[in-house]
Amino acid sequence: MSSEAEPDLREALLAAVPGLRAFAISLAGQVDRADDLVQDTLLRALSNLHRFEQGTNLNAWLFTILRNLFHSEYRKRRREIEDPDGSYVGRLKVHPAQGVHLDFEDFRSALAELPDDQREALLLIGASGFSYEEAAQICGCAVGTIKSRVNRARQRLAGMLKVDDVEDLGPDSMTRAALQG
Amino acid sequence: MTVDKGNKLARVVHDSSSGRKLATDPKLDSSSQKRIGDQLRAMYDELMQQPVPDRFKELLDQLEKKNGGKGAAQ
Repeated sequence: MSSEAEPDLREALLAAVPGLRAFAISLAGQVDRADDLVQDTLLRALSNLHRFEQGTNLNAWLFTILRNLFHSEYRKRRREIEDPDGSYVGRLKVHPAQGVHLDFEDFRSALAELPDDQREALLLIGASGFSYEEAAQICGCAVGTIKSRVNRARQRLAGMLKVDDVEDLGPDSMTRAALQG
Repeated sequence: MTVDKGNKLARVVHDSSSGRKLATDPKLDSSSQKRIGDQLRAMYDELMQQPVPDRFKELLDQLEKKNGGKGAAQ
């Protein structure tokens, strides 16, 4: 690794931040916590750069780090607050940081109700643009497991958001209400 | 003995060509699936467009300064 590579690396890492943040916010449900996750991810990546294979997918590598940090922190918290059945986590809603405006409240709440494994699979496939193979690598599971999680996530979301019942669904219920009013 | 529910192999098969629904893996119809996908991407796009907080730029600037001129740090 040469010093000449550093500015490129800085640009590459910086370019990855919006995607990492979007994933972290959707995963953790809280902007502040998500930003801590992203920061820890960047620090971890920088101190483990020697493990990154040049020419492979930097984004997938960063997402793997973030995802693992999220899960180890989640397990730690769950032990700390003695929440073996995850009921505390089930009550987590999105709390935007001050000054950060978040839309799609209905969708976001429904997303927060999904089990972690289904939510992360859906986010990686449906939003972050990873292939099933990449998502399986990031989550450390089989491709078939990812497919099945994504399917179940979509089903549950459809049930919660009742997309089956609504003919002309807008971006969210507020839009729908506005159109009807 | 029924193996319908527990047959994981059946789930691995990506059923994209046939429109038939497998009893073991009920799928959403394509329009519902599209709506979920559209909402997810719209929500995500909004998050992607948030400005990058300064803390991350500063963090990466520090890296550059620290390694400036010498690449042997790590």
